[in-house]
Amino acid sequence: MSSELPSSVRKVVVHLRATGDAPILKQSKFKIAGTDKFAKVIDFLRRQLHRETLFVYVNSAFSPNPDELVIDLFNNFGFDGKLVVNYACSMAWG
Amino acid sequence: MSEAQKHVWEGAIPLQIHLHESEVTTLPPPPPALVLAPRLGYLPLLISLLKPQFSSTLPPGVDTIWFEYKGLPLKWYIPTGVLFDLLCVEPERPWNLTVHFRGYPSNILLPCEGEDSVKWSFINSLKEAAYIINGNSKNVMNMSQTDQVELWGSVLNGNLETYRRVASKLKLGTFEDEYMENVSSVLIKSPQSPGDTDVTGQVKTGRIPVRLYLWTVNEEFDDFEDAPQIDNWDKVSYINRPVEIYKEDGKYFSLNDAVKRILPEFFPENSFVTEGDANINQIEEGESSSDPGSSCNTLEIAEIKFVRVQGIEPILDIPFSWVVNNLMNPEYFLHMCVCLKVSKSNAVQ
Repeated sequence: MSSELPSSVRKVVVHLRATGDAPILKQSKFKIAGTDKFAKVIDFLRRQLHRETLFVYVNSAFSPNPDELVIDLFNNFGFDGKLVVNYACSMAWG
Repeated sequence: MSEAQKHVWEGAIPLQIHLHESEVTTLPPPPPALVLAPRLGYLPLLISLLKPQFSSTLPPGVDTIWFEYKGLPLKWYIPTGVLFDLLCVEPERPWNLTVHFRGYPSNILLPCEGEDSVKWSFINSLKEAAYIINGNSKNVMNMSQTDQVELWGSVLNGNLETYRRVASKLKLGTFEDEYMENVSSVLIKSPQSPGDTDVTGQVKTGRIPVRLYLWTVNEEFDDFEDAPQIDNWDKVSYINRPVEIYKEDGKYFSLNDAVKRILPEFFPENSFVTEGDANINQIEEGESSSDPGSSCNTLEIAEIKFVRVQGIEPILDIPFSWVVNNLMNPEYFLHMCVCLKVSKSNAVQ
């Protein structure tokens, strides 16, 4: 009784941008399955940066719910063919 | 303000909360706590009511409150009313929950540090809704500290008047229902834009933030008692897709239209290509999908078993603008619990 959406798996380009004193990643653009949750992006960043506390935003504006699908975030907030995700070690943008 | 809005803001769920047996260190065990939880509230905000009742029996350690229902840890950032609508298909009163103060399941739930975490989640949802409606979150980000405190306080205390006064400064607008003499035709105006006409001659108004909690079943059930239990969060798809209200002459955009527009995967005859879909296709040009399910050899045919918003199951023909104006949550999202019966049949290639 899985509730998997029956759409084909699409990849979304995620552009990870450091904010403030957060370390810059060597590679900043990644492709991720649209059916993945935003939590996967957060976990990936935590592992890459070896930090437990991380503040992750979309378009320097808001922190999405971790359950949100990457494809929904891209469709709602992506532009120029990618989803811009900002990360910071301390709280930014209110 | 409408009667419906008042009812929504006053809505509460009677809870009977038991302390988990592993955390009981005294005999006799403490009796369950009986509380009225606001529908628009969040479970961790009940800690001030629960802690006094259970503190004397807890084992040593640091408090990290979390709740479960029939073994399923409850996501604290989902409003209490939505959790109830989703997980209690056959409404249970009082709703029997188990509270824990130890052993936080951080592999399943996001960390929650009490009210601050809940407020942070709420404000971010509000910013996300603002972004959907206006294309940016500036109005929320530029709120004065006083307004932010008042807004959050109004949600905590269920004060609709204060909420409306502060929220009006955000200029997020609502959709007006204009019932004509013929009740079947409803015109919908958006304060943000006069409306664009698309290729089909429909008038498209602003975007409405929707969080849709989708639960699919394969077997038929006539009685909610027989509905399969949601015992795992993987059984729920959490869908965030804004709805654009379309109106045509002599027709209004119904709740049924909205559900089908949000879920074109299940209702292919209603499907339409969004700009986002086009963008994704551009990204993937020249790539072959390794996903075996991506070659569309199955057609999903779905039947809406129920749509639940704020504890009610509106008739599907109701104007969607009425649902939005009267039943949305204070962070400007409309939370809809939808159960679909899905049967797979092979489509002709």
